[in-house]
Amino acid sequence: MKNLSENTFSVPFGPQHPALKEPENFMFTVDGERVVDVKIRLGYVHRGGEKAFEARTYTQGLYLVERICGICAMAHQLCYVNNVEALIDVEIPRRADYIRTIIAELERIHSHLLWVGVAGHEVGWDTLFMYAWRDREVVLDLMELTTGNRVLHASNTIGGVRRDLTSEMISRIRKGMKLLKERTNYYKAMIPKERTLMKRAVGVGVLKPQDAVALCAVGPTLRASGIKRDVRRDDPYSAYDETPFDVITYDGCDVASRVLVRVDEILESIKILNYALEHLPSGPIAVRLPRGVPAGENVSMVEAPRGEDIHYLKSNGTDKPERYKVRAPTLANWPAVGAMIKGGYIADIPIVLAAIDPCMSCTDRMTFTEVNSAKSWQWSRDELRRYSLKWRGK
Amino acid sequence: MVARRAEEVFLEMAWEVGLLALLSALIYPGIIFLVVIALFYQWVDRRFYAKLQNRYGPIYTGPRGILQPVADLIKLLAKEDIEPSAVDKQIFRAVPVLILTMPLTALFMIPITGTWALASFEGDLIFIIFLMTLIAILAFLGGWSSTNIFSTLGGMRAALQALGYEVPMAVSFMGPAILAGSLSVSKIVQWQASHGLWAILLNPLGFGIVIVAFLAELERIPFDIPEAETEIVAGWQTEFSGRKLALIRLALDLELVLASGLVTALFLGGPTGPIPIIPGIAWFMIKTLVLVLIFSNLRALFARFRIDQMVSGSWKYLVPLSILQIVMLELLLGWLSF
Amino acid sequence: MAMQNELVKSLAKKPATLLYPFEKYDSIPGSRGKVVIDITKCIGCGLCIRDCPAFALEMVGKGPTCDMKWYITRCVFCGQCVETCPRSAIIQETTYDLAGAEKAALVIEYKRPKSS
Repeated sequence: MKNLSENTFSVPFGPQHPALKEPENFMFTVDGERVVDVKIRLGYVHRGGEKAFEARTYTQGLYLVERICGICAMAHQLCYVNNVEALIDVEIPRRADYIRTIIAELERIHSHLLWVGVAGHEVGWDTLFMYAWRDREVVLDLMELTTGNRVLHASNTIGGVRRDLTSEMISRIRKGMKLLKERTNYYKAMIPKERTLMKRAVGVGVLKPQDAVALCAVGPTLRASGIKRDVRRDDPYSAYDETPFDVITYDGCDVASRVLVRVDEILESIKILNYALEHLPSGPIAVRLPRGVPAGENVSMVEAPRGEDIHYLKSNGTDKPERYKVRAPTLANWPAVGAMIKGGYIADIPIVLAAIDPCMSCTDRMTFTEVNSAKSWQWSRDELRRYSLKWRGK
Repeated sequence: MVARRAEEVFLEMAWEVGLLALLSALIYPGIIFLVVIALFYQWVDRRFYAKLQNRYGPIYTGPRGILQPVADLIKLLAKEDIEPSAVDKQIFRAVPVLILTMPLTALFMIPITGTWALASFEGDLIFIIFLMTLIAILAFLGGWSSTNIFSTLGGMRAALQALGYEVPMAVSFMGPAILAGSLSVSKIVQWQASHGLWAILLNPLGFGIVIVAFLAELERIPFDIPEAETEIVAGWQTEFSGRKLALIRLALDLELVLASGLVTALFLGGPTGPIPIIPGIAWFMIKTLVLVLIFSNLRALFARFRIDQMVSGSWKYLVPLSILQIVMLELLLGWLSF
Repeated sequence: MAMQNELVKSLAKKPATLLYPFEKYDSIPGSRGKVVIDITKCIGCGLCIRDCPAFALEMVGKGPTCDMKWYITRCVFCGQCVETCPRSAIIQETTYDLAGAEKAALVIEYKRPKSS
C-alpha cells in the first residue's frame, strides 16, 4: 500500500466532501502537498435515466430530459426537441426559435453567475459567493416570469415553445439585463485586481492547447486554452445563425482564464439577448403536430453552459423512443481534469475541479456491455437496485 | 491580648484578599467574564461579516440574535461525542481541554480593567508568545492524534503556518517593549498611559504586521489554511465532535479576545483613554471591538492563500518589514534623545 | 483589497435576504404551482394521465362521471396536463406552499358533486 521509499499516501475526495456539490469519488495520491496521481471514479449519480426514456412517451420525455441537470435543463430539452423535430421533419416558426434562444441565453447567464459564486467559495472567498448569488436572483426572477419556474423551465414543446413573450416581459428582461451588465462589468474589472484570488488561479490547473484537443475537452475549459470552438458558431441551431456574437477565448490555459472566459460569456449572452429581443419576429409560437414520430435516427448538438451536449435518438415508429443516449459536456472534461491536477497542490484541487464547472448529474451514464457477444443493454433504476441488493447478499 | 487580635485581623485580611483574588480570577475580570466577552465578540463578528455580505447573520435567538453563540455552545455540549477507535486516546482527549486553558492563562496577563493585569511579572510578554506557540503545537497534536488523513494534513499545515507568523509577530512585539523599556505587558500599558501617547504612533508598520500575523494565528481568512473547509473538510478539527468541539470552538473565540486584547495593550494604550470618568473596562471593550471589526472586514475581503504562498510571503515580506520597523524605531529613539 | 468599496456600500444597504416565513414571498403571476381541476368540465378522456411524466394524476371511475386525484408528492409541476386537456379543465395556480404534515394532506381529490 505505502511504498516506504516514496512517502505517498492516498487522499479520498468524495463522495461526500465540502468541495463537491455533487457526489463523485476522486482518489488522489499525494506526496506531502503535491498531487502525484488521481483516479476518477464516476457513477455515484447514475439514475437509470436512459432506460427511463424507453418507457415513456415523447411528451413525457420532454420533462424527463430536462431533469438530467437542473442548471442545463434548457440545453438538454433543446437538444431533445431538435432531435424529435428533425425526425418528424418539421420547420418550427421563427418566433419560437428566437424565444428558445432567449431562454437558452438566460440560462447561460444563470449558470455562469452561479459558477462565479461557487469558484469564489472554493477558494474561501465567501463574499464573492454571496454577491454573485444575489445577482443571480435577477435572472431567476426573469425565468419565473417568462417560463413559470426558476429552474427546470420546461419552456419547449415538440413543435415550438409553450409560452409567448409579452411586451411587459420583454421590458422586464431588458431592465434585468441592464442591471446584470453593470454588475458583470464590475466583476470583470474587480476579479483580475483581487490579488489573493489571482494568486490561487493564475498558473493553476494548466491545460495546454494540444492536450485540450487530445483529451476532448469542451466548453469554456477548451476555450480558455485558446481554441475557438463553440457549437453555436460551428453548427448553428435555433436563432444563432442570425444573431451576431463573438466566441470568447483566452490564452492563459489556467483557472484564471476559465473565470474570465465565463465572465465574458455572460456579457456576450446579454448582447445576444438584447439583439434577439429587438429582432423578435411575430407569428405563432408552435405548430400543432400529430402524435407519433416516424422511425429513424438522429444526433443533435447544443452548446450547454458547460460545453457541447450531444444527444442521440433512435425511433422505431411507436410513441416511445427505442434508444436515447446522452453525452453531457462534463463527461468529456474529466480526462482533462486528470491532466490538469497532476503536479499541483492539494489546495488547488477544489478550484481545479470547480473550474470545469462539473455537473455530476449530467455525467453519469452507464451501459452494460458483454464483451464476447458485443451485446449491450440498459438497466432501469429498480433493476440496478435489485442487483445491488443481491450483490450485497440481502 | 492585643497581639492575638492583630494575628486574627491579619488572618482575616489574608483570607479576604485571597477570596477577592479567587473571585477576580473566576468571575470578573476572570474566566466567566472572559467567556461572556468571547461569545459576545463572536456575535459581533458574525453580524458584521454578514452585513458586509449584504445578508443578516444571526437575528432570531435572543434580542437581535445575541444569544446565538450561547445556543451554539450549548448545542455542541449536548451532542454525542464520537471518538473513532483508531485515535490516540490520551492526546485526543487532552487537546480540547489544554487548548482552552492556553488563551485563558494568557488573558490573565493582559490589563483589562485597569493598567495592571490580574497577574503580571517581568517577561510576561515572552510568556504570552510562548503560550500562543503552544496553541499551534496543540493544533498539530490534535490533527496528528486523530489519525485521519484530513486531520493530519490540517495539523501539518497548522505547524507550518506557525513557522510563518511567529517570527514577524514576536519581532513586532519588541517595538512597544523597546519603547517602554520592559517586557511586561502591564508596564507597557503603564508607559503609554503615563506618557499620554499610544505606541502605534511610533510603530505603525509594526501594528500592520501584527494584525496580519494575528490573522494567521487565529486561523482566519486569508490564512484559515489549517481548517480550509473546501479542501480538507475541517482540517485538524475534523474528528472532534460534541463536547470536545465545543471546548475547541470556545478556545478559538477566547483567542480572538486574546489577540485583540494584546494588540490593544501593546499598541493602542490598553484600558485607558482621554476622558477620565469612563472606566477602564469600557475603553478596553471599545478598542477591542474596533479590532474585531477590522478582523471581520479582512475576513470578508480576501480569498484563502495556499500554505506555500503564506510561508514564503511571510518570510519574504513580513520578516524584513518587522526588522525594518525595529531599526527605524531605534534610530528615532536615538535621534530623539540626542 | 479590490472589493473594499463594495463592502462599505453593503453596510448601508438593506440585506438582500427575504425573511421567510415572516416576510411572505409574492409569486410572480404565471408561476407554475398548484394544479386545480374543474371537475365539472372534465369529460374523463384520460389524455392528461397519459401525458403526465410523473404519473401524478389518477382517474377514479370511468368516463364523464369520473373523479380525479392529484398527488402532490409525485407532481413535478410541469404543466403538461394544462396544455393537453381538450376542455381546458385544468389550470395551474401560483400557490407554492403545499407542504403537509400528514400523508392524507398530500393527495387532493377533485370530486363531482353528487346529484341525487
